[in-house]
Amino acid sequence: MARALLRIARCYSPLSSPTPRLPPPLHRRASPPLRFLSVSLSSPSPAESAASSDGPSDVRKGEDGRSGWDDHLAMSDDELMGQCEMGTFKASGPGGQHRNKRESAVRLRHRPTGIIAQAVEDRSQHKNRASALSRLRTLIALKVRKPINLEEYTPPVELLQILPLKSTIRGKDAGPQIGPNNSKFAPGMQALLDLLFAVEGSVSEAAKILGLSTGAVSRLILSDDSLRIAANELRAAKGLKPLK
Amino acid sequence: MLASASASASFLPRPKPKPHLLKRLASALTPPSPLSPSTGADPDPDQDPTPLFLRPPAHPVPAPSLAAFRRRAAALVPPSAPHLHRHLRWLLADAAHDPDADPALLRAPLGDLEALWLRHVRDRRPFQYVVGNEHWRDLVVAVREGVLIPRPETEAVVEMVGRVEGFEAGWWTDLGTGSGAIAVAVARMLGPEGKVFATDVSEVAIEVARLNVQRYGMQDKVQIRHGSWFEPLEDLKGKFMGVISNPPYIPTDDLPGLQPEVGWHEPKLALDGGKDGLDHLLHLCEGLSSVLKPGGFFVFETNGNKQSEFLVDFLSTKWDSSFHDVEAVLDFADIKRFVTGYRR
Ligand SMILES: C[S@@+](CC[C@H](N)C(=O)[O-])C[C@H]1O[C@@H](n2cnc3c(N)ncnc32)[C@H](O)[C@@H]1O
Repeated sequence: MARALLRIARCYSPLSSPTPRLPPPLHRRASPPLRFLSVSLSSPSPAESAASSDGPSDVRKGEDGRSGWDDHLAMSDDELMGQCEMGTFKASGPGGQHRNKRESAVRLRHRPTGIIAQAVEDRSQHKNRASALSRLRTLIALKVRKPINLEEYTPPVELLQILPLKSTIRGKDAGPQIGPNNSKFAPGMQALLDLLFAVEGSVSEAAKILGLSTGAVSRLILSDDSLRIAANELRAAKGLKPLK
Repeated sequence: MLASASASASFLPRPKPKPHLLKRLASALTPPSPLSPSTGADPDPDQDPTPLFLRPPAHPVPAPSLAAFRRRAAALVPPSAPHLHRHLRWLLADAAHDPDADPALLRAPLGDLEALWLRHVRDRRPFQYVVGNEHWRDLVVAVREGVLIPRPETEAVVEMVGRVEGFEAGWWTDLGTGSGAIAVAVARMLGPEGKVFATDVSEVAIEVARLNVQRYGMQDKVQIRHGSWFEPLEDLKGKFMGVISNPPYIPTDDLPGLQPEVGWHEPKLALDGGKDGLDHLLHLCEGLSSVLKPGGFFVFETNGNKQSEFLVDFLSTKWDSSFHDVEAVLDFADIKRFVTGYRR
């Protein structure tokens, strides 16, 4: 995972080739043609905020101004890390053998979306990097919306996997229901929020599409705090009252 | 748990090294002579050599007494060092089987814990020496006085090894292995044919490395050898897929200004890189091509930008016929911390 952190410095070396060797290109899953929007811009502030809280952070278009939808959650940890900056350690002195510091906080800024995730609680920076990355996945799921064409919509398998078994569209091959503690919950949550966004926040509409009762979809949304908060923000934007 | 008795066999004096085979750059280099081991170490005369976190939880302490200790310990933390509260939490996590049980079972008598805490807060003894470990990558590496506490920067070295084509099946050497952190982490990634030969001139390092190798069950993959740099590898010339080293690289003049946790407590032998800090690094560069297979990889950690730039320039100009793709690699703080390359 951390291997994406290693960037090759451009060093002048007279006898080596003039172009610096760059890390191998990231292999990204080809984007399905229907996914077209990049990210929804929930904050108009163009200023780079230094806030490093775990909480919701601004989602902005990254500086590489990429258009076209990237399925960040489908990327491997290495690939996703390659899109991040680790900001915490700048200007921390000479480092290396000079220093004893157990401060192992990790703060990741995901360049394409501007989302910031951090982790401080573990003793190993390695583990904090891993938890910051998994937090980043959750935040991406919660904040990055892609539009859905409802006419041609079939729920993706990630979404089917987080649905309760009684869903009529679920099918056997979706396997057991995946809960919030599973790392595969994030992509399902993202797909659920995309759907909710497409039906303008209406839980009953979403429930129909998912072959579930309205109550079952509400319960699913309420089963995870961050999912509930994101769903309610989305509903509030459409003038709907929060799910409780 | 410490394999000190069995380790001592390897401390038999080795034959004096033959004059180094590579003399090409002898005039430009002064091969560093090994200092006496555990210089600068700060051993406790009556200290149990078993790291605290590995001792049996044999000391029951009633919850109220432990709570009182917690308060006393917290009161010693100066406002300027809020991170020490975190250390206190970690100390209890390591020193007690379950700090919230009543009675809590401690791995040392409460009085000893109190003394340990005082030495950390007042004498700036590194927290890692207090509890006897450092969390490094996904490992809990045992450490004690006389061996360098592995640094977070160094974690990246393991990643670089993992990117070398076919690394799983290769023979690797970790020169100046210290606690054995790199050697164990690399060994855990290797396939059945892969091996790591870990060397160090310090006897304490050899003992601690052996303990860590054993704790992670890597005895079959890691061979530990006592001696100065390449000397213990005479029988393995030209056999290595990779050479890894984080040698001492701090310029001697910088030693007095180091953070007390480092300068007062960590072994000078693990830090002192000579006048420009390059003594050992240059010596390693000099020996590289005799131990590496053609196509073999090397990675060195350095003091940062200037040293890395110097070494990249040095290896790719003077030694262009021996190495290719020599480059500096950034650490997480964007300092050119590593130099990597391949033997032609
Ligand atoms: C900076 S420490 C690195 C320890 C460990 N590899 C790590 O990264 O945490 C340098 C190590 O080199 C060892 N060392 C110093 N001089 C040496 C020599 N002449 N030959 C072999 N090892 C030496 C020290 O004992 C120390 O363990």
